[in-house]
Amino acid sequence: MTTAALVTSRPPRTRRPGGWGIRIAPYLFLIPNMAIFAIFTIYPALNGFNMSLYSSSNGRTFRWEGLGNYEQILTSAEFWTVARNTAVFAVAYVLLATAAAIAIAVLVNAQGRGKTFFRAVFFIPVLVSPVVVGLIWNWMLERENGLVNTALGAIGVPGVPWLVDGFWAMVAVVLVGVWMQVGFYMLILLAGLQSIDPALYEAAKMDGATSWDQFRVITLPLLQPSIVVVVVLATIHGFQSFDFIWTLTGGGPVGATMLMVQYIYENGFQSPIRFGIATAGGVLLFLVVFALTIVNWIVSRRREAV
Amino acid sequence: MSETRLITTGTAPKRTWTSISRKPVRLSDALRVVVLTAGALACLIPLLWMFLGSFKTPTELAQRPPTLLPESWGLGNYTEALSRFNFVQYLGNSVIVTIAATVLTLAINSMAAYALAKYNFRGKNLLFLLTLATIMIPLQVILIPVYQVVASLGLVNTLWGMIIPAAATPTGVFLLRQYMLSIPDELIEAARVDGSGEFRTFVQIVLPLCTPALAVVAIFSVMWRWSDFLWPLVVAQSEAVYTLPVALARFNAELTVPFNLILAMGVVSTIPVLIIFLIFQRQIATGIANTGIK
Repeated sequence: MTTAALVTSRPPRTRRPGGWGIRIAPYLFLIPNMAIFAIFTIYPALNGFNMSLYSSSNGRTFRWEGLGNYEQILTSAEFWTVARNTAVFAVAYVLLATAAAIAIAVLVNAQGRGKTFFRAVFFIPVLVSPVVVGLIWNWMLERENGLVNTALGAIGVPGVPWLVDGFWAMVAVVLVGVWMQVGFYMLILLAGLQSIDPALYEAAKMDGATSWDQFRVITLPLLQPSIVVVVVLATIHGFQSFDFIWTLTGGGPVGATMLMVQYIYENGFQSPIRFGIATAGGVLLFLVVFALTIVNWIVSRRREAV
Repeated sequence: MSETRLITTGTAPKRTWTSISRKPVRLSDALRVVVLTAGALACLIPLLWMFLGSFKTPTELAQRPPTLLPESWGLGNYTEALSRFNFVQYLGNSVIVTIAATVLTLAINSMAAYALAKYNFRGKNLLFLLTLATIMIPLQVILIPVYQVVASLGLVNTLWGMIIPAAATPTGVFLLRQYMLSIPDELIEAARVDGSGEFRTFVQIVLPLCTPALAVVAIFSVMWRWSDFLWPLVVAQSEAVYTLPVALARFNAELTVPFNLILAMGVVSTIPVLIIFLIFQRQIATGIANTGIK
């Protein structure tokens, strides 16, 4: 009580003098969160670099390898297939998801009645568990009897070997990934669209600008900050995709859709277990995503400055 | 804007052509509704197809061409899935993990956010930056080292092993901190003058004021934990601790489980999140718009 009374009677300062309680309280409030951070994120992140220099087939006994794991990874054909798959998937996914999200957001935003309805419907796939998404689409894309090929057959298009052929499996994985996430990106862009001043469009209309002109000259530039957020998030999501692919293709056929996270998981948890390879793979994935995120921000900043 | 109002519903584009209206419907408006409706159908049909399939028998599912509606709407697949597997247990595990993880996240994130928003102390900025920086380190890239920690703590094959490691979400701390900054300092100061302890002030004064932000964090935590797969897959190596997504993926991989039962389980795992979404639509939309978290 006395300390509290003292605090109020003094003139305000930037640092509160306070009693023992006030000084110690912030640390006590932070301890649980920071302890979990430290034990389950920061320590493993640092230890990951260390572990990637050892090899282990059981997680208990480790053998020093130096850069041997990296050498082994970077000279293995399997890794380069996985790296290429991941790059192809991520690029196609980011481009398609961003373009589709922009298109849907602009169309939904222009809608008067039914706007909330469409917004909700496009978001629904985001809610479905990715494991279930993979299951449904695996079933729908079945070559002989799947709903997609049946529908295509009905309009005279020959059946596509979706999950049987390597190329088409990758197409399917990209499309399903976009299907699953596009509503999420759409919501971010819709928020950006709502902050654009409608008067700009009115003025453009008076000057006789077409809808396309308005989109190109007003919408795209003013939406750019939101688009950058979407591209960054989609890049991170793209490089980390795993769960829906696991039940959609399982990484097949013959590894054609195996991406980096699955490579890490299988090396780490399916025999033959190679912890060192899996950890080194994680470090490489982190470096790539980190570098790309930085590049994304720099590019977007420079554009803003110009 | 007046033209767009004439379109009565999004689901029936044809009506725009036949509806009685004062002004003619513009072609671009009609086209937009057609495109949006096609997109909406593409979003809904797969889920509807799963729902219909969950009532079909294996023979019906194997029919060529596939039939649209099931022959009967009996709940046979659902009851069989319940009785044949420890389905209730997986469901229970999922519920426990989701609720416990969300409660834990709310508790520790809000405390950390309060410290970062309303106190001045040494190392504050460093700790805040460190928190934000961990957004860059997703679980996927440190999967093996985190697993090592969890294993050495004896948490493999336990629900706690799924709950704790990802509970300290950086986005949750960030969102709550931003919200708490808007709470006036005088309010907290007044509570102190009244002799309220620091923790009591936090629980009785600050937390109730943060309900909207807490709700957003809670909703996202529930949706994410319910669908989460990779981490539970790694931790749950024995059947007793499978969550629904893990059980679904494992059973689907063993081709011995009939697909009609898998579809029924898929429907059951989807319905709760759909209900949450229908109730909290507005909070979800603003939450994503403000933070980009999921």
